[in-house]
Amino acid sequence: MSEIKGKVLKHSEQTRTMHWVHLICFIILGLTGIAFYFDIAGIVNLFGGEAAASDVHHWTGVIFTLAPLVYVLFNFERFAKFIDTITTFTKDDLGWLKTMGGYIPFIKAEHIPPQDKYNAGQKMLGLLVIAGCILMIVTGFPMWLLKHSMPPVLVWLTWKIHFWTAVILILAVLGHFFLAAIHPKSRVEFASMMIDGYVDAEYTSHHNAKWFAELKKAE
Amino acid sequence: MNTVATKEIINIDEKKCKSCDHCTSVCPTGAIQGRIGVKHYIDHKKCVNCGQCLINCPFGAITDISMVEKVKKALADPQKFVVVQTAPAVRVALGEEFGLEPGTNVKGKMFASLRKLGFDKVYDTEFTADLTIMEEGTELIHRIFAHAGVPGYEKEGPLPQFTSCCPAWIKYAEDKYPKILPHLSSAKSPQQMFGAVAKTYAAEKLGINPADMFVVSVMPCTAKKFECQREEMIASGFQDVDAVITTRELAQMIKEAGIDFRSLSNEEQADRLIGTSTGAATIFGVTGGVMEAALRTAYEILSGQSLGVVEFKAVRGRKPVREATVNIPVKELGKTVPLNVCIVTGLSHVDGVVEDVLAGRSKYHFIEVMNCPGGCINGGGQPIRRDTY
Ligand code: HEM
Ligand code: HEM
Ligand code: SF4
Ligand code: SF4
Ligand code: SF4
Repeated sequence: MSEIKGKVLKHSEQTRTMHWVHLICFIILGLTGIAFYFDIAGIVNLFGGEAAASDVHHWTGVIFTLAPLVYVLFNFERFAKFIDTITTFTKDDLGWLKTMGGYIPFIKAEHIPPQDKYNAGQKMLGLLVIAGCILMIVTGFPMWLLKHSMPPVLVWLTWKIHFWTAVILILAVLGHFFLAAIHPKSRVEFASMMIDGYVDAEYTSHHNAKWFAELKKAE
Repeated sequence: MNTVATKEIINIDEKKCKSCDHCTSVCPTGAIQGRIGVKHYIDHKKCVNCGQCLINCPFGAITDISMVEKVKKALADPQKFVVVQTAPAVRVALGEEFGLEPGTNVKGKMFASLRKLGFDKVYDTEFTADLTIMEEGTELIHRIFAHAGVPGYEKEGPLPQFTSCCPAWIKYAEDKYPKILPHLSSAKSPQQMFGAVAKTYAAEKLGINPADMFVVSVMPCTAKKFECQREEMIASGFQDVDAVITTRELAQMIKEAGIDFRSLSNEEQADRLIGTSTGAATIFGVTGGVMEAALRTAYEILSGQSLGVVEFKAVRGRKPVREATVNIPVKELGKTVPLNVCIVTGLSHVDGVVEDVLAGRSKYHFIEVMNCPGGCINGGGQPIRRDTY
């Protein structure tokens, strides 16, 4: 693993690109989606009116679906490793969850157990995002393309699932954004996904101690 | 809900419309304007008031105008003698609104609840449905005679004869194919037949001034709300049918009145208008019902025998269009006349059939057209079956 001037590479260029594409799509989808739900003329007109905003939502939905698919296709091992990491929960993860990693002011955290490449909270976000995106996709496309052939109950059901999953995802991403960009303790990792891919080695050695040890061993 | 009497029966509530676009696939006439993501609205020039979009909108955003307040006012008015007729398809659907199995016949309970609601006379549309069938059947015979050159029938309309009891189909024909109108049977629908008979014959028999009589019909159909407002429907000198309520609206009225529907007796009978019903009209509610009943009438009159089972076959590639050939030994002509009959379910499938007739290519003599899938049993005024689709 490359380590320059006390930094470690956490997220590759492809991962970062995919995250950026997904993030931009998410914002467009979320904005237009909320505008549809609440009939917000201001946002709808921003996208060129009802029909155009709807087209934008659909085609952004296509990119939103294709981006991770293409990424997984070209980075299968990386992705498999990611899935492996976020689906592995040990007593260290439980320990992290008990103290919420020391991020919540009222929960005292004397000892935070060592974490993998992603801490338990990030693992949960990862799982939530994957499940949520799949739900958005498997409901969104039928809503768009099977609107005439689905029976009314299914139309209703896909819309309900699409909407409530959107609510959960948007709230989760808001939390994710807060921790990644605002919270003083965690925003030090910002560049690892948003800029060059690197995190501070010293920081990583205790925040993601298990992963750091692995990196050391591999060297 | 719109309670003003208007002929624009079906409307989309813009606030509730989710722009899902499902309704445009249901509408048989292309009256619904919009695409996914855009609020939909109905072009009332094209709309035939069938209510199919209403019962299929996943978000309940489509409503029909209501005449319930008008009915309640009449019921509360001691000056008014309020009579009600109930269409065949209502009794097998009403129970659903009270948690009974779809298809359960709640005829007696329905009559009982109507009496509890305060209707002065409770009738069954079956009786006038029989009249409609008799008229359509006789008219068919006359048209056949005219076609065969029998003297005395020159003034009869052309063949094929189309049925005329579905008001959605009538409006569609008027809007899109005015040239086909001479082919439509001149028989009134059972609902209008009833209104006319009630305000003339029945009023006289009961000693009621027809001006004080208020005729209500309970229908499986939203297009009937349009039909009762048609200008020509004043055979009695008054508006023949004053108000139409749907199966759904009757259920609502029963619930509001606090009537325990399920515990009512199912043995209660309708009031008698004249004589008894043949029961032939019970099949009015399903596709092919009118056709078959009228055909039987015509067959019996023409041949002096009764008609066996008629097997309808789907026309290749056009499933909602079914046809059959019936050979009628016509006594009067001394020969057997093959009669080609056809049943069309759904106005979206009628275009080809009508265009064939207009172009002189049609082999049919008698054509039934019903707008709703499966017939009035699935009309736009029936309970909304969200879970059984
Ligand atoms: C994170 C991703 C997404 C979010 C947050 C999102 C959000 C929303 C929201 C809130 C609505 C309005 C629902 C309502 O009014 O009840 C909506 C509608 C819709 N979404 Fe999405 N959506 C996302 C992804 C997708 C995808 C991948 C597709 C697939 C192409 C899609 C297709 C649709 C369609 C067809 C509609 C109906 C409205 C229209 O077509 O104009 N969405 N979305
Ligand atoms: C709103 C702006 C966003 C910012 C600033 C942001 C920032 C970040 C950062 C810095 C990381 C790396 C965390 C680490 O490795 O320590 C990350 C990871 C991740 N992001 Fe985002 N992100 C944003 C939006 C999104 C959106 C919209 C999604 C998905 C719909 C998403 C999904 C993920 C996932 C699955 C990970 C890896 C797992 C995790 O760290 O929890 N992010 N993001
Ligand atoms: S089906 Fe209902 S919600 Fe969907 S577009 Fe039509 S009226 Fe609107
Ligand atoms: S009532 Fe019938 S014709 Fe009118 S818009 Fe609805 S489906 Fe179309
Ligand atoms: S088929 Fe029956 S319920 Fe449907 S529009 Fe015609 S008359 Fe009304």
